[in-house]
Parts: sequence; C-alpha cells; structure tokens
Amino acid sequence: MRLFGADILPLAAEHIVLALVPVLLGLVISLPLGWWAWSSRGARRILLPLTGVLYTIPSLALFVVMPLVLGTRILDPVNVVVALTIYAVALLVRSVVDGLDEVPGEVLTAGVAMGYRPLGLLFGVQLPLAVPVLVAGVRVAAVSSFSLVAVGAIIGQGALGTLFTQGFERFYTAQIVFGLVSILVLALVIDGLLMLLGRLLAPWAAARAPQRQAV
Amino acid sequence: MFSSLIAWFTASAQWSSTTGIPTRLLQHLGYTALTVLVAAVIAVPIGLYIGHTGRGRFLVVGLANGLRALPELGVLVLFVLLIGLGLTPVVLALMLLAIPPLLAGTYAGVSGVDPAAVDAARGVGMTERQILVQVELPNALPLMVAGLRTATLQVVATATIAAFVSLGGLGRYIVDGQAQRDFVQMAGGAVLVALLAIVLEVALQGLQRAVTPGVRRTRSTPVVGKTDTVTVGG
Amino acid sequence: MIEFSDVRKAYPDGTVALTSLSLTAREGEITVLVGPSGCGKTTTLRMVNRMVDPSSGTVRLDGVDVSTQDPPTLRRGIGYVIQNAGLFPHRTVLDNVATVPVLLGRRRSEARSAAGELLERVGLDPKVGSRYPAQLSGGQQQRVGVARALAGDAPVLLMDEPFSAVDPVVRADLQDELLRLQSELGRTILFVTHDIDEAIRLGDMVAVLRVGGTLAQFAPPAELLAAPADDFVAGFVGRDRGYRRLQFVGAGSLALSDFPTTGEGWLLVVDDDGRPTGWRQGEEHVALGTVHAEGGSLRSALDAALSSPAGRGVAVDDDGRVLGGIEPEAVITLLHASAGSTAGSSPESVR
Repeated sequence: MRLFGADILPLAAEHIVLALVPVLLGLVISLPLGWWAWSSRGARRILLPLTGVLYTIPSLALFVVMPLVLGTRILDPVNVVVALTIYAVALLVRSVVDGLDEVPGEVLTAGVAMGYRPLGLLFGVQLPLAVPVLVAGVRVAAVSSFSLVAVGAIIGQGALGTLFTQGFERFYTAQIVFGLVSILVLALVIDGLLMLLGRLLAPWAAARAPQRQAV
Repeated sequence: MFSSLIAWFTASAQWSSTTGIPTRLLQHLGYTALTVLVAAVIAVPIGLYIGHTGRGRFLVVGLANGLRALPELGVLVLFVLLIGLGLTPVVLALMLLAIPPLLAGTYAGVSGVDPAAVDAARGVGMTERQILVQVELPNALPLMVAGLRTATLQVVATATIAAFVSLGGLGRYIVDGQAQRDFVQMAGGAVLVALLAIVLEVALQGLQRAVTPGVRRTRSTPVVGKTDTVTVGG
Repeated sequence: MIEFSDVRKAYPDGTVALTSLSLTAREGEITVLVGPSGCGKTTTLRMVNRMVDPSSGTVRLDGVDVSTQDPPTLRRGIGYVIQNAGLFPHRTVLDNVATVPVLLGRRRSEARSAAGELLERVGLDPKVGSRYPAQLSGGQQQRVGVARALAGDAPVLLMDEPFSAVDPVVRADLQDELLRLQSELGRTILFVTHDIDEAIRLGDMVAVLRVGGTLAQFAPPAELLAAPADDFVAGFVGRDRGYRRLQFVGAGSLALSDFPTTGEGWLLVVDDDGRPTGWRQGEEHVALGTVHAEGGSLRSALDAALSSPAGRGVAVDDDGRVLGGIEPEAVITLLHASAGSTAGSSPESVR
C-alpha cells in the first residue's frame, strides 16, 4: 500500500518490530534484575536510582550516543532497539520490584510453611501474583515505545516517524496527521491486547477488584 | 572518538560564540521554563478544582493515558506546519506534553488527602477555600512536585527535538551534526542533553523530598516514589 | 508428639526470644501456647517446621530431631494455619486446599476432589471451591485455611493465632468447629494465641509464657484457673477465674428441686411436650432465663439459676423437657463438695 510516496505496510511492520522487540527484551532482562533488587537491599539501593537516571536521558540523545557505546554504525536499527530496551528495563525493573512487593507477607509465610522451595515459590506464587502490576508496567513501556520509535526518524531510523520528517520537509499536513493517527492506533491496539492478556493471565485480579472498592 | 569529543567540548569557540554551549544551554532552559510555567498556570488550577470537587476525574485519567501514546515528533511538526515556524508552535506542542503529568500530579495529590483531615477541617469551620489552601494544598505538594518533575523532563527531552523545526537549544548540535555528517558534534550534543536532564532530575528530586513532610532529609538513597513512572523519555 | 528440650533462641542483635523452654505437646491433643506479645510463642511454634531454627536445644517431632530434616519436606508433612489465613489470592479455593497434595506429587484432579470433601468437612458449601479467596468472608477464608492445613493428611497441625482477625461471633463458631473437627480427627495440634479465653476453651493443655520466653505454667485449663502458679499467671488468667472455673466442673449430681415452686407465686409455663416456654406471676408473663441442659457444667447450672426471674433455674433433658429447678444454693453446695477433688481431673469434669 503506497501513501504519500511511501510504502506504508512495511513501515508499520518495522514500527511494530522496533517498538515491541525492546519491550520483550526489556521484560526478559528486568525479571532477574527486578528479583535481585527485590531480594537484596543493597541491589535495590543501586539498581532503582540507576534505572531512574537511565530513564531520564532524552531518547534522541540516547539514540545518538548508542554507536559510541556499541560500536555500531549511526544508521543501524540496533541503536534504536538497544536504546528503547534501556528505557523498557528502566521502567520494568521497578514494576517487577513493585509487583513482588505486592505479594502479602502472610501469603509468602503460608507458602514457605507449606513446603515450597524458593524457585517453586517464585514461579508458583510470587510471579503469578505480580502479574497485574507487571502487565501495567509493560503496557506503559509498550505505548511509550511506539511514540519513541518515531523520534528515531530524526537520525534516519524512525519507521512510521519518517512520515513526520518527510511531511515536514514537504509541508504536507495530511501526511503528518496520518502518521500521528496510525501510530496512535497501533499503540492503543497493542495496549488493548496487553490488557486482555493481563486479564487472561490473572483472572483472580478481577475477583479482588470489587472487594477493594467496597472497603 | 572520545578524544575528539573532549576536543569538541574544550574548543574555545564552544564557550564564547553565539552558537556556543552556554547560549544553547540557556535557550534550552528558556524553552523548558517558559513551557512548564505556562502549562502549570493552566494545569494546576484545573487539577485543584478536579481534586477538590471530584468532578471531571475521567478527564485526568483519559488525558494521562491517551497522551502517552502521542508521538511528540509528530505533534511538533504538525503544530509548526499549522502555525508557522517560531517559538509559539513549539511551546504549544511542548505544553501538550507538560499538562497531563502536572494535571495528574495535582489531582492525585489533592484527592489523595486523607478524607478525615478534610472532614475535620470542615468540622472546625474552615471555608472551602481555606480547606483547599491550608489543608489540601500542603498535603498535595509532594505529588504536585512529582508531576512537575515528570513534566519538566518530558519537556527537556522534547525540546531537543525542537531543533528539527529550526529552533535553538542543545538539540541543534544533534540535528546539525546529522546534516553535516559530523558525529562528534552529535555525540557532544547528546551528552549535554543527557547531563542537563540528569541534573534537573536530581534537583527536582531534592525539591520533592524537601516538600514531603516527615521524611528524614539525611537519607542517603533518593526516595523515588511510584509517581516516577508517569511519563518521561521523549 | 512434639518435644521441646532446653530450647533457646537469641537473635544476633542480642534480643532473646526464648530463654530455655522444655515442653511436650502430647499426641492427639490440643496444646495451646499463650502469653503476652514478646513471649516467644510464635517463635516456639515456628521451630517445629523450621521456619525458625533454635540457637540451642532440640525440637523433636515423633522422636526425630527436626534439625536433621530438609525443611521443605518437613513442612509438607505439617499443617500450618495463620492469622488472615494467608490464602493464595491467585488460586481458587479448591486449588488452595489442594496445594500441599500437589506439592507431594499427587495428581491434580485427585487432589481437587479430595479438597472438595475437605471443604464440606470444615463446614463450607463445596460450591465455594471455584471462587477466589477475595470473594469469601473472613470467617470462610479461615475455614479454607484450616482445610488447606488438613489436606496433606499431616498428623501435626500448627496454628498461629488463626482466629484473631475475625469478629467475636465468627471466632466462637470457628472455635466450636475446630473442637468438633478435632474430636473426629484427633490430630496433634500446637495452637498459639494471646487470648487466654481462647486458650482455656480449646486447650487440653495450656502453656503460659512470660515475656522473654520462660514457661510460667503448663497445665490443663481447669488447673490453670483453680491454681495459678504465681501472680503473673493469676493476673494473665484475669478476673472471674473462680466463676470461669465452674465450666470445668460437671453438674451431674446437682440436687434438683420440684415444680411448681416459690413463695412469690412464680409459675413455670410448659408446652404440651413439657418444654419450658416462660414464667408467669399473676397475669404477668416473663421470658425464660438461660436453661441448663442435662450433662452441662456447673457454670451453666449457676447461670440458669442467676438469670431466671424467679430466682430458680430450669434444668432440661436432651429433648428440652423440664427435669427440675435449680436453686443457687444447690450449685454452691455441690461446688463445695467437689472442691476436695481437683477440679480438672474429677471424673465428672466436662469440656
């Protein structure tokens, strides 16, 4: 499908990949890091402020610095993926910690008392109970990721974001509006899917909700 | 690579000319301050009103969630095309990003005040205005500053992009470097922006702690609240 | 059987939770650890399943030193109930109850059907099995907690203030239910509480602990009430202990008086089957006081006498038919007669 002189579907596919691969990678990296920060006070003291600082760095700056750190070429899509993975990790480590913190103390006590070993407790009790908080974090990371990929267009690696740079050069408002809407729609669709996934993974959370309101 | 970066930083022209680092830095700070100020003037009263009365809550939640998905580059170029080059479209676009966290922080701060405290204030005969100013506002301050922090960082990050639409600021180095295939200049700009953001973050974190009652100031690790995860990185 | 010998627990910061405790919880009995907060009762309990290891001394379970056993394996063989139940919010009630059997390697479907039976056993509708814990009341959650602890067929149950977080009416229900279950199952139960009334109500044996973890007295409840070892125990057992002790004295040989009665013209009204319905004085109808059922304790007999408007209580048989009247003096007389034998071990003692 060609629109505004560009092949839209490949651009959209590229946008989805550039936005979601970092979130997936970020989640995989954040789970052990978050668990570490949750279980060790020292690790928490270092990791949480560090991720806070990383999250502070503006995306354009991070994209540009990446080749310096990674030794990649400036136009390598790896730069964007790694930069966005850093953001995802910065967000999700905190989510993992918050999620694990959500598990009530008496539930952990009961689990240990019933004879769970540490790994069994982590995968059988703690992580399942962290799912709602984790999914909320992943949703924020994914939605932000969609809008951040577009910034890459300034350094020539922006997927649907190139609609903005090209539209700006050609003074073509329609192209920019189309870019805005398509990124927004993609982000919201992914957000909705993640929300459904969250309900599927944690059906019990819905059972808890009405009681919380009643309190 | 690093040595040329250091050379870029230490070149004397970098610190004296009208396109040097001090000028760019002041421009960047200027855009940021102007935008956050205007955004606060709009968002704080609305947030106070919604938090105090509870009316229009959905607006806050909807804005905070919906605008996170909005690509800031797109908003920026769209405003420039609609209004024309200059400061106005950029400030307007940046405001759009600064308002949701300020609004959400103010609203959450006011509505999160212990209802018993508000009840007690009403019980001793305070007027609604007195309740807002003397009870709700002081208690809401930490979350309001958290909103300010998020908004500021969002604006600092996006102001970098403003160079793409011909404005000054630290983003110039990145955009010009990109056009001139001068990677040293790009990297120099990126490092400056990152440093600026981190310095502002630390300063605002300090402010947030200073307005939080009952927190020991001597704490060695920064107290980072859950409010961090509103929206930054742009 | 659970044996503590010279058990001491001190923490690195110097606080001593238990000074030196020796105690045996007998097989098939409920042994209650009671004391003010800081007396080390929960620490003691947790040493049995190695949630806490003693600094010195040994804890033996059926003669085996628990410190020689792998903690998770040990724990799977011991039921554990805590305050607020500690149910897994992400699992249905049925899967919560099936937890330990599944950990022990039993098939999930089998464990679930066994769990359904256990729910009935603790007085729950099996229909709640498919719900999540958040959808149950506090009392129901606590029943599920008990069912979960029973599911592994563990001969030993540890209960750590299991009923403290529910309201008094529900607590009394849960206590009754536990006594009923125990009469069927005969498990060895170690029960921790800070509530002396609960201890007296549930315990076959009660251990009163002092702050700092020393044993003040270890005795059956009636003896605790009749003969507190020292001022600390007397103070902890509290007021009314003379009156509360009556509940451990049987009223079997109580002398009943005849109806109709009393010089003030009170008449007991009975229905066609001989069950009491109220009192009458002239034209005035007055409600019954409490009624003493045959086989009950002296406490219920005295209460029947004291709560009756006529100044004379009503004793009934198992079918609720009037047996006779209870004069307060008769209760006191019987009490004096039984004072010679120790209250707790007298052949007509009841619980």
